[in-house]
Amino acid sequence: MSARLHRDWSRIAAAVATVAIVTAALRWFAVSNAATVSTTYLMVVLVVAASSRLRVAVVTSIAAMLSLNFFFLPPVGNFSIADAQNWVALIAFLTVSLIASNLSAVAHARTQEAVSRRDELARLFDLSRDVLMMTDSPEALAVLARSVARRFDLDFVAVALPRRGDWNVFEAGSQHADLDRRELTKALASAQASLEFDAHARTYAGHRTMTVEGRDIRLVPLRVGTKPIGILAAAGRPVEAGTLDALAGVVAIAIERAQFLEERTASELMRQSEQLKTALLASLGHDLRTPLTAIRVAASNIVTPGLPPDDRAGQSELILTEVERLTRLFENTLEMARIDAGAVATESRWTHPSEIVAAARDQVEHTLAAHPVTVSIEHDVPVRLDPRLTASALAHLLENAAQYTPAGSAIEITVRRDETRATELPPDGQLVIGVRDHGPGIAAADLPHVFERFYRGAAAKARASGTGMGLWIVRGLLAVEQGQVFAENCPDGGAKFTILVPAAVKEAP
Amino acid sequence: VRILLVDDEAAIQRAVGPLLRSRGYEVDVAGTGADALGMFESRTPDLIVLDLGLPDLEGTEVCRRIRAKSAVPIIVLSARGAEGDKVNALDLGADDYVTKPFGPEELLARIRVALRRVGSEEPTDSGVFRAGDLTIDYDRHRVLRNDTEIRLTPKEFELLSLLVRNHDRVLTHRAILKAVWGPNAVEQPEHLWTLVAQLRKKIEPDPATPKYLLSEPWVGYRFVASGQGSRD
Repeated sequence: MSARLHRDWSRIAAAVATVAIVTAALRWFAVSNAATVSTTYLMVVLVVAASSRLRVAVVTSIAAMLSLNFFFLPPVGNFSIADAQNWVALIAFLTVSLIASNLSAVAHARTQEAVSRRDELARLFDLSRDVLMMTDSPEALAVLARSVARRFDLDFVAVALPRRGDWNVFEAGSQHADLDRRELTKALASAQASLEFDAHARTYAGHRTMTVEGRDIRLVPLRVGTKPIGILAAAGRPVEAGTLDALAGVVAIAIERAQFLEERTASELMRQSEQLKTALLASLGHDLRTPLTAIRVAASNIVTPGLPPDDRAGQSELILTEVERLTRLFENTLEMARIDAGAVATESRWTHPSEIVAAARDQVEHTLAAHPVTVSIEHDVPVRLDPRLTASALAHLLENAAQYTPAGSAIEITVRRDETRATELPPDGQLVIGVRDHGPGIAAADLPHVFERFYRGAAAKARASGTGMGLWIVRGLLAVEQGQVFAENCPDGGAKFTILVPAAVKEAP
Repeated sequence: VRILLVDDEAAIQRAVGPLLRSRGYEVDVAGTGADALGMFESRTPDLIVLDLGLPDLEGTEVCRRIRAKSAVPIIVLSARGAEGDKVNALDLGADDYVTKPFGPEELLARIRVALRRVGSEEPTDSGVFRAGDLTIDYDRHRVLRNDTEIRLTPKEFELLSLLVRNHDRVLTHRAILKAVWGPNAVEQPEHLWTLVAQLRKKIEPDPATPKYLLSEPWVGYRFVASGQGSRD
């Protein structure tokens, strides 16, 4: 405010100086014709009026009028006027110059207004773009408040939304203010009670002013359609009421959008979890029934008198196999739940890779029995990783290989270290464990999906056993220790799974 | 007696095979639908135990193809909780079903009933059928219990004779509705419930615990010729 006043004063000084110079020039050229003099002064007034505010133009008009009277209208040298005709000329000059000043000032103000409108429109446009770019993050509303503060150069912006009897306030801007919750509630209540559409200004008035620590904060209802959903509080730069309304409209739409995105995310999560439950139940249903039936029938076969001894042994073997299958199913389900719950702890220690391979083979000894297994370990020196998780992941891969390849086909386990110091690799290098089988390989269509939960490829579906959990668990377990797993088909047949686990190696002494 | 066991699960093959052999049946085992169809041709089994979840063909499709050629009894094994598969298989000509997990006696009982049904004289619309203390005289449209005539309405008689002609088989709601009321009635099971309740009042000694006209929940009805109530 003071800056503007200061600017006006200097303008006035400049205008008065111009009048003085023009007066001196007229005197110098000894111009005495009153009409010429007054036209010259009028020109000065018009120039000033066109470039400054009304008050500057008025002061200039008066200065010019006084100069005209003092220097040019007889008797020259004082402010008295002898001739009545000169009175008329003087008043006519003053009237014309004041009207011209006013017209010019109005035009000037219009221009200023148009410029500021354009400026505010540009800000609104930028804000709308911010809103459209907004993602469904939990901070969406805080981001929104920040966008408003930034785009409109406001010191303080708050988006206040009523939530179960209280207010959720998202603040932004360089300053902070404690909004009086009761004032907010009052403002919202009055916005709800009436529309307060100001037909003259074509705005929804309903604007309130709240004073916090000596500062005026403007409260504008946020409306979706005509329904108020919250309050926008703003302080700092004065913003025109219509613009505030438009701004509030954009903010209201943004809030609606954020809430819609939030709901959509929630319902999407819900849907996924429902899908998962259905898949889990279907998988468990199928995988429990078969072993349970087999065990029940085989158990009663054992006590049947007519059964030859060989068959009897076979039935007891069958029961053991099926019990093992149920145990694996139970363990897998449990492990899956632990991964889902983020309850898999990792504990690194120094281990020989050969120990990991041995532990993994132990875990699936029974399934692996029908396959010759070869192991090749490049350097069996101690590495630092979580041996339990790594072995468990490897065991799942071995089980998978054994299940989906014909009995008698070989399975190869290879272990090596990758010490490439590429930036995207772990700094201490990693352990690379490969499991290669000689089965039918993985269908190209299934390859991208084999690690998805409950995904079972065409070949897997043809086999009755298998739950679609194993490979998902492998990935889940490895993720806990920042490891990875890949699947590929070998050019000469069979599938190869590769585990990568970050692992430091003990430097040779 | 030769039974064809069709199931892709090695565990089921290894458990059910010896079970049936130990009861004196000869058993052939097929792991796929294609095998099953081939062995049906080459081995001419007297009964087929068919799992619905096969790797190559839908079990219901196997059922349909076999039924197109032969009246051999088919007992369906279903590992799926869905009743839909069972009903489909029954509509496509299967005689009975057992749901996994099942006990050995359950399966054996169903096999015995199915074989007995085939062994009994071919059911016809003429002549007299005796079941326990019931006598159904197709020619005279008369039903007697212990020589006392039971008066049935024409619809009741139609339902009873349909069930008796297919005694010891499961008839689906759909199949019964279609046969008794026509194809337009298949979506109106309430007709059937009412008629079954009326019929039970007349033919069952104790309508609350039926011995002849048994419900197969969510699937259909079965007429038990032995009049022994549920499960053989």
